[in-house]
Parts: sequence; C-alpha cells; structure tokens
Amino acid sequence: MNDIATPVAPTSPNIAASTEAPIMMRPTGELVLEARQLDFSYGKTQSLFGVDLPVERNRITALIGPSGCGKSTLLRALNRIYDMYPGQHATGRVLLNGEDILSDRGSISRLRARDGEVALNPSGLDTSALRARIGMVFQKPTPFPMSIYDNVAFGVRLHHRKSKAEMDVIVERSLKRAALWDEVKDKLSASGLGLSGGQQQRLCVARGIAVEPEVLLLDEPASALDPVSTAKLEATLMELKKDFTIVIVTHNLQQAARISDHTGFMFLGKMIEFRPTAELFERPQSPRTRDYVTGRFG
Amino acid sequence: MSTAAIDSFSEARPARAQSALGETIFRTLCFSAATLLMAALAGVVVSLAIGGWPAFHKFGLGFITSTAWNPVTEEYGAAGPIVGTIVTSILALLIALPLALGVSIFLVEFCPKRIARPIAIAVELLAGIPSIVYGMWGLFVLAPWFATHVQLPILMDFDSNSLIGRIFSGVPNGANIFTASLILAIMILPYMAAVFRELLLTVPSQVREAAYGLGSTSFEVVAKVMLPYVGKGTVGVIMLGLGRALGETMAVTFIIGNSHGFPHSLFDSGSTIASTIANEFAEATSDMHTAALIALGLVLFVLTFAVLATARALLAGQKN
Ligand SMILES: Nc1ncnc2c1ncn2[C@@H]1O[C@H](COP(=O)(O)OP(=O)(O)O)[C@@H](O)[C@H]1O
Ligand SMILES: [Mg+2]
Repeated sequence: MNDIATPVAPTSPNIAASTEAPIMMRPTGELVLEARQLDFSYGKTQSLFGVDLPVERNRITALIGPSGCGKSTLLRALNRIYDMYPGQHATGRVLLNGEDILSDRGSISRLRARDGEVALNPSGLDTSALRARIGMVFQKPTPFPMSIYDNVAFGVRLHHRKSKAEMDVIVERSLKRAALWDEVKDKLSASGLGLSGGQQQRLCVARGIAVEPEVLLLDEPASALDPVSTAKLEATLMELKKDFTIVIVTHNLQQAARISDHTGFMFLGKMIEFRPTAELFERPQSPRTRDYVTGRFG
Repeated sequence: MSTAAIDSFSEARPARAQSALGETIFRTLCFSAATLLMAALAGVVVSLAIGGWPAFHKFGLGFITSTAWNPVTEEYGAAGPIVGTIVTSILALLIALPLALGVSIFLVEFCPKRIARPIAIAVELLAGIPSIVYGMWGLFVLAPWFATHVQLPILMDFDSNSLIGRIFSGVPNGANIFTASLILAIMILPYMAAVFRELLLTVPSQVREAAYGLGSTSFEVVAKVMLPYVGKGTVGVIMLGLGRALGETMAVTFIIGNSHGFPHSLFDSGSTIASTIANEFAEATSDMHTAALIALGLVLFVLTFAVLATARALLAGQKN
C-alpha cells in the first residue's frame, strides 16, 4: 500500500485531458483480457481516464509509466480487488474471454450478498470464482502464515475438493513452474514466512498459478528483490508464459524490454501508447513516451 | 599535515570530554530511574511477604487449601476467595472473548471506514470507565433484574436436587459468582476488543488482498489468514484480559455477595481475593487477620504477575 501514499502527479481531469488519441497497436493474437474505455475513481478522485488495454494470450504485457500514473489502479480494476473498498468504482468494460466482468455487478452490497451465497452454496460461484481466474502478485511478497505446502494449496482448497495425492501433484507442479521446487522440496512443511524475499515472491507466484488462472497480474514484483532473485523471477515468468498470460507492472524499463512482448506506457491516468515492446522502446511515437523511455523524465 | 591533524584533534578534545561527562550523567539518571522502579517492586513483594508471614507460618499450605475463613475463631483459609477469583475471571473471559473477537473483526473487516473510527474510539473510552460505575449498575440494575427474571424462574421450575437445580441453586438476590463474572466480562470486553483490533490491523492489507484475490470469502480470509497471522498475539490478548479480571476489585465487591465459603454453584454467592481485602481491611482488628489479608495480597500479586508475564512473553514472540 506504500506506493499509494507517495506524492504523485496531479490527476485532475483538466490536466490529464490530453488532446492526443492513444496510440494503440492492432492486436494480432487472441485477446484473453481486455479493458475498454475504463474509468476508475477512488471516491471523488478519478485515477483512470478511458483506458484501453488489450492482453493477448500467452504473452507478457508490461505496463510502464511514472509513479502515480495509474498502473496499480489498472491492475486492481482488472481483478475487481477494489470491491473490498467502498467508494472505489470502475466504469467501462473489462472483458475476460469476451465476458464483461464489470457489468451488472457495480453495487458492493450486491457483491457482498453474492459472497454470502457462495459460502453457503459452493455451486453458485461468482465473484470469488472470478477472482480465482485472475491471479495477482504484489510488490511485497505476501506469503500466508502457514507451511509452504499449505500456501500453494490455499487457493485450490477454496474452490475444489482434492485428495491428498492430487493435491501433492498440484503443489509440486506449481512449485516447479515457479522455479522454487528444488529449493523447498525438502521442507514443504516449513513456514512460508521463513523463506528469503525472492523465494517468498516465487512462492506467491506458485500460489497464484496453482489455481490455473487465465491471467496472472504482477505489480512491481521485483522491486523488493536483489538482482539475482530478480533474474530468477524473470526467467520464471518467461517460462510461465507458455501456459499463462501475464501482465506485469514495472518501473524498471530494462526489465520491461527484456521480458515483455507488448508494452503500454501510461501517463496521468491515461494509456498513451501501447505497442510491441521493441517498437515502443526503439521508435516511440508519442513525444511523452519518447521522453520517458529515454529517461528525460519520470 | 600530520601536525595539523594532531592540533585539530587536541582542540576537539575538551568538547568531547564534556559531552562524555554529560553522557555519563544521562546514563546514570536513566539507570537510577530503572533501578528505583525495580526497587519499589521488590519492596512491595518483600513487605507483602513480611506482613503476611505470620499467616503463612501459622497455617502453612492450609492457607491456600482450606476454606475456613473465620475472623472470630482466628482461622484463615483462603481457598474460597482464591477459587472465586479464578472462576469469575475465567468465566468472564469465556463470555468476553467471543464478543471481543466479533467486535474487532467487525471493526476491521466489515464496518464502513466512516463509522469504524468513531466506534473504535467509543470502545476505547468504554475501557476507561471507572469500575465503581459498573459495580453500581450491577448492584442496582443487573442484580435485581437477574434475580426476578432468571433465578426465581429456575428455582421454581427445577427440583433443587436435579442437576440443573444444583448448578443454578442460590439465594435469589442476584449477587453471585455468575453476575459478578458478567460484570467483569462487560468491563474487560472493550479492553480486549481494543487490543485485538490493533492486532488485526497489523495484518498488511496486501496479505488480505492476496487472500481475497485467490477467491476467498470474508470468512475464509479472517479465519484462515488473518487469525493465523496474529497467531500467538491472540493468546496474549486473552492473558491481558485475564490479568485485568483477576485484580478487578470494586465492581466485583459490589455484586459477588461476599461470603467466604467455597462457592457451590454458579448462582452461589462468593468472594474474590480483591473483594475480600477491600471489604475487611478497615475492620481487621487482630494482627492475624491483617496478616492473612496481606498474605492474600501476595497471592494475588503472584497470580497476576504470572499471567501478565506469560502475556508479555507471548506478545513479544508475536512481534518477531
Ligand atoms: N487508495 C487510494 N485512495 C485514493 N487515491 C489513490 C489510492 N490509490 C491510488 N490513488 C491515486 O491514484 C493514482 C494512481 O495511483 P497508482 O495506481 O498507485 O499509480 P502507480 O501504480 O502507477 O504508481 C494516484 O494519483 C494516486 O494518488
Ligand atoms: Mg503502483
């Protein structure tokens, strides 16, 4: 939550309103997740203005931009985690495999009622099932206070009844995919809190992918990690994109350039330019993007 | 070059020496303050031990195990007040704990931010109300109500030899172990809820969001992530509440009925260590009576100290 409190660029509509239309590439692959004309407000402060974001299957999509431009906000809108906080709301469309996940669920009280139903009637899954389809990894590692095994099994247990043997398979596969298996296979019952920061972050990735989400959202996952852990995490993500679709927020431009296929540059709550990564970094079209990627501001 | 360095060094010296002196004085002052506190504590224990010695010497272990407390025959066995203290405190805890959990979880997890703060402040203020106010309310309002609406119906509807009749037997005046526990529970509830709320607020919001993000319901987030996260701290809160309940005096003195025997049922009158001391100290004429009361004080001191020390140890373990 710390990054939210940092002083940021103003986001009043007047200043943010730029006359230029966003520069968007035409999608070439199948879109898993898509934001269209997404507005988002924290109470009375609007933080996103008509954002478009096409996320292609089995690609890594990076979001870059100066601090406070709305990258985290965009991620939080995509998996509706903002529902937890009264007063925050999104309008526009977020399509997950073509299905609008924002529509008809605007009211928090209605959502709460649904959550209640889910608890009583597991077959009527709605919001919580939706959240499980879009995984999220945060800036600071967020292991739960339980064993490594239970951390990975946590999400699966919420949604499916599995035998011990089935669960063992899922846990092992998830930890292998997150490139953590070799380091923890002998201490699966040890607490997840005892791992190093980099290991904790990969544990959170394993926990996120154990429920086989369609999209994995990562918000500056490497910013608290040392270079070696960062390299491992990046390698993990490159490997994961074979099976998953990844959206990653980063303020490390080299990182975006190294691992992503598409990059979106955001500024003052708007999507300024969204294009294949190499093109965006080598031939930025918007002057703002050019200034940012050449390090002239931000 | 080297002389210049030496010069500047010797110049700096007096100032350094002065600040070193200040440092020594400062340290000595802090050290004495700490020593004074420990000395006062030791003084309390020692004087309690000396004052209570005649009673311990005369009755030995019987002071703790016997139920004979009789100023007329000069016989003092404190099992009644000791058991009364422990029973009322634990009952109060059993009543207050689920409520404190509920209040604090509601405030942290479900209550709209706008009203959560005022409610949290109100809870903290409740914790500060003088206990004599609770005692008066207990005596004038709770006890009569309890006698007519709970005790009398039970007395009339159940045979006094039946199990229920025995558990709930007692003079129907509302002044008994159970109502005392109830008042105690009301008194420690805000305190426990306030501490527990602070504890729950230490769960990072991203950890909660991660749990919700995996598709947990509110109940699952609280039960499977937040409560394990505060873990041992929960036990610490329980012990702090217990420590408070053990030593509470005025409210209990008002409503427990003040009889020295061993309480035989939930609705029997009884006494606690603190209520016994408060009731009898002014009237203790014989030396042995005074010694017995002081010895009681020492027992309470040890009991409370042990509970609070355990609480501290558990809470400290939680922070690491
Ligand atoms: N919880 C919040 N309440 C109010 N405003 C917020 C909150 N979180 C973020 N904001 C505002 O939304 C804007 C975008 O923030 P954020 O999405 O965190 O930016 P980024 O992740 O790109 O650094 C900022 O102006 C910030 O002040
Ligand atoms: Mg951010």
